[in-house]
Amino acid sequence: MAERIRLEKKIVTENDRLAAALAERFDEAGLLVVNLMSSPGAGKTSLLEQTARRLADHLRMAAVDGDLATDRDARRIIDAGMPCRQINTGRGCHLNGRQVAEAIEVYDLADLDILFIENVGNLVCPASFDLGEHRRVVVSSTPEGDDKPVKYPVAFRSADCVVLNKIDLVEATGFSPASFSGFVRDLGLDVPLLQLSCKTGQGLGAWLDWLRTQREAVRCRAAPSPE
Amino acid sequence: MHEIALARAVWRQVAAEMEKHSDRRLTQVHVVVGELSGAEPESLEFALGLLVAESEWPHAAVHVRKEPVVLVCRTCGREYPMQEMRLRCPACGGADVEPVRGTQLRLESLEVE
Repeated sequence: MAERIRLEKKIVTENDRLAAALAERFDEAGLLVVNLMSSPGAGKTSLLEQTARRLADHLRMAAVDGDLATDRDARRIIDAGMPCRQINTGRGCHLNGRQVAEAIEVYDLADLDILFIENVGNLVCPASFDLGEHRRVVVSSTPEGDDKPVKYPVAFRSADCVVLNKIDLVEATGFSPASFSGFVRDLGLDVPLLQLSCKTGQGLGAWLDWLRTQREAVRCRAAPSPE
Repeated sequence: MHEIALARAVWRQVAAEMEKHSDRRLTQVHVVVGELSGAEPESLEFALGLLVAESEWPHAAVHVRKEPVVLVCRTCGREYPMQEMRLRCPACGGADVEPVRGTQLRLESLEVE
């Protein structure tokens, strides 16, 4: 006899399990972990280079960097003063929890203030793969056009901070910052929107402040209560 | 094509459930894909179909239903459907909104005989 079995079960993927284990490790170590997502060429690596140059004397930072091929990005980040492990994903369009767990083996997490995970340049798949991070940052840039938020809503909806890079090119590209922030607001996002240029340095102070604030928030949460 | 990985996760859940009903035959699988879940319904249905074909119930039918997003405004309490990726509250214009439906990938039900 036919019977319907009602389940209503949320699907837990293998990556969800790995991400939960990573989140636990990150919390125990007490560092801030930031997952950076963007389309290729928006400026994730440039942002990490600038962050290394300006913060490396004050905070202990390291990175892992996902790309299909080459270690070019990792070398740039290392040259700027931040340790970085390259992950080559082959044809993989996103980083997963297993790759991150392997890559961070070289780091003593308890000795770090911030770990950056630079995801593969792609605004679709990385959004669906939690890596146990505390904060997600979506980097967009003016040459990409001002309607990226509404075209890639899943990635933008998951962001804790939106960085708009290459603001120095705003006139050359005809980009409308007002339209961009309108699209972000239409997504119901109440997160910082930081306009900056990794090339000229404009606006980078607000990014570094945001990082310091998030680092404090995670550190305070991780520290034992003073009783 | 990470829908293949998602399909495997769905299928693991189906297989675990069928172990509890080992005397029955699986005839239908109903899956719900939220519009903001990040999964693509057609690719998921295709990938699940491949797994079903290799299973001990190769004739079971797979149904993947797209679930629209429903939001609640934390400012005025209005519940409303998302339209064209505009998530802000249509009543008060508030941006402090929470999706209450349409973000999950769920195994809704199985049919057995």
